[in-house]
Amino acid sequence: MKRRNFLKKAALTTAASISVPYILPTGRLFASCGNRVANHVVFVLFAGGIRQQESVDQQYLANQGLATEGNVMNNMLEGAAPTSNLVYQPWSPILNRPLSQQGTLFKEVLYRQGPTGHYNGHTVAMTGNYTETGLNLNINPEFPTVFEYYRRHCDPASSAINAWWISEGLGPYPSLNYSRHQSYGARYGANYLRPRSIFGESGYSQLSGAQTYQPDDVQRISKIKGLLDQNFFQQADDLPGIQNTPEDRERIKNFLLNSMNAAVTPGGFEFATPGSDPSLLTGDLINISAAWRVMNEFAPELTVINTTNLDICHDEFSPYIDFLHRADYGVGWLWNKIQSHPVLANDTIMICMPEHGRNLESNNLRDANGLGAYDHTGDANSRRVFTLIVGPPDKVVQGQVLGSLGNPAAESIDVVPTIGHILGFEESMGGRVPGRVLNEAFV
Amino acid sequence: MKNSSYLFPLLLLLLFAACKKETQINKQPVVDNYIYEINGEKLYQSNAEKVKQKSAEQYISILYANLNKQSIPQNDLSQLAEIRLANGDKQMADELILNGFVNSPSISIPTDAEMRADIEGFIQQTFLRFFLREPTAYETFEIKKAIEEDPDMTPVLVYQAFALSNEYKFY
Repeated sequence: MKRRNFLKKAALTTAASISVPYILPTGRLFASCGNRVANHVVFVLFAGGIRQQESVDQQYLANQGLATEGNVMNNMLEGAAPTSNLVYQPWSPILNRPLSQQGTLFKEVLYRQGPTGHYNGHTVAMTGNYTETGLNLNINPEFPTVFEYYRRHCDPASSAINAWWISEGLGPYPSLNYSRHQSYGARYGANYLRPRSIFGESGYSQLSGAQTYQPDDVQRISKIKGLLDQNFFQQADDLPGIQNTPEDRERIKNFLLNSMNAAVTPGGFEFATPGSDPSLLTGDLINISAAWRVMNEFAPELTVINTTNLDICHDEFSPYIDFLHRADYGVGWLWNKIQSHPVLANDTIMICMPEHGRNLESNNLRDANGLGAYDHTGDANSRRVFTLIVGPPDKVVQGQVLGSLGNPAAESIDVVPTIGHILGFEESMGGRVPGRVLNEAFV
Repeated sequence: MKNSSYLFPLLLLLLFAACKKETQINKQPVVDNYIYEINGEKLYQSNAEKVKQKSAEQYISILYANLNKQSIPQNDLSQLAEIRLANGDKQMADELILNGFVNSPSISIPTDAEMRADIEGFIQQTFLRFFLREPTAYETFEIKKAIEEDPDMTPVLVYQAFALSNEYKFY
């Protein structure tokens, strides 16, 4: 028996000594932080203010006095599409199985406190703390963002190239890649990108002819710069924002310039539309398409992207439905792409959540179809959202639906600790995040 | 070859503004946007006189002026400010903008032959152009040596180095 035990232990030890220095696809040795569920997270802030009624409740026009219900999010949710009174252009789903079947849907989630503004909603979702900050303040958040927790406690490469915040709009959104917390801040922030500016008119007219340099030339520039800097007593080191390493900076610059040219080359840029048709793009789908380009190039461990076009619901309900339908397609398209990537496939968990909902009662505006518009002014309905967690079946519970009206299964502040759980830095966040890990979603 | 037809849908989408308050950027000129000291004003006696860091708008507008010898059009400045805002790494954004400037047909940069025909003169003019001061003897010696030792050191690369130097970010 003793000999048998010895042999068994020896075999286990040998196996462990072989498996421990396993080099992960991201090029690092073993996780430097806690245990991980997966090595990549994509958090889609399905934002712009989305009502439960038109999303998970699948009521379509039932709240507009028309007896037509149905599911306009047929890539994310299970359910039959509306068959009459169509106020949107239906696209065939890109997924064979809706994402709700490929993960866990927290159908009822509470945005408990604070203004239901877009910036607030984003801040809550990305910091895991409710905030009373006024609307549209262009300042970094008070509490650390999920990027800073990740980079400080768990980024194996200690590089911003592993964390990206990609937003559809400018305004206050560029401020969300790091906080003003004194223990965290810009040195742990994410790369921020607003694709519509870089790949749109401004970027194209100003940068499309930009010079690119080979490494030899970069060294020559650095040599002269070094000579000049050694004769000057001040450092220009207080530039606001994050700083990549020089090597990563060159990679990103070349990536941006190549992508800019690809965007105007037929077939050069994959668009999140049926047939990759650029004429079907919305701002949200440009953002999702560009986010995929970033993920495909850098395989970041933590990516946060958003949509915002649905906010048109302040004025027009019909285009809101259309944007909702298209954004849903974009999320399905993104998930499909992830499954085709050699590093990201089967090692990525995607989380989708609106930043807040919209009011129960419509305002006085009617669109061309006579349908009422909705604001988001903090009523109980505008605090109702959902959270969808999708991942491989060995990591995420499949086809599970939790929560119901009046019985929320989670809160908006729970996503940050959940990401911490997935990427292994949950313990390092200490008491800074009041939410909980959504353990029910994981195998 | 490039086909601008694909750009149009992207550009048209710029008209989309679901929540205009959150996507609008400040396109109004601010005092800092105006160009400083490009019309033959007095030179610095030494770089120790430079103690204030340029704002982003100052950096962009002065860089444009130094390279093109004219002030930057307001629309260009607005677009460049938007590009800078749309990137989280401001150093990278500045480098991208500089890379765009140096490839512009309107830029005025000596040729490699002109530089090598009178390296010391080139160095002096580059210091005056970017730093608004004369180079020290040591600076002239070191940079001249770097140019002479490397046949692939071009005026564009030297200009890049000046524009990205710490001193150029101060006034």
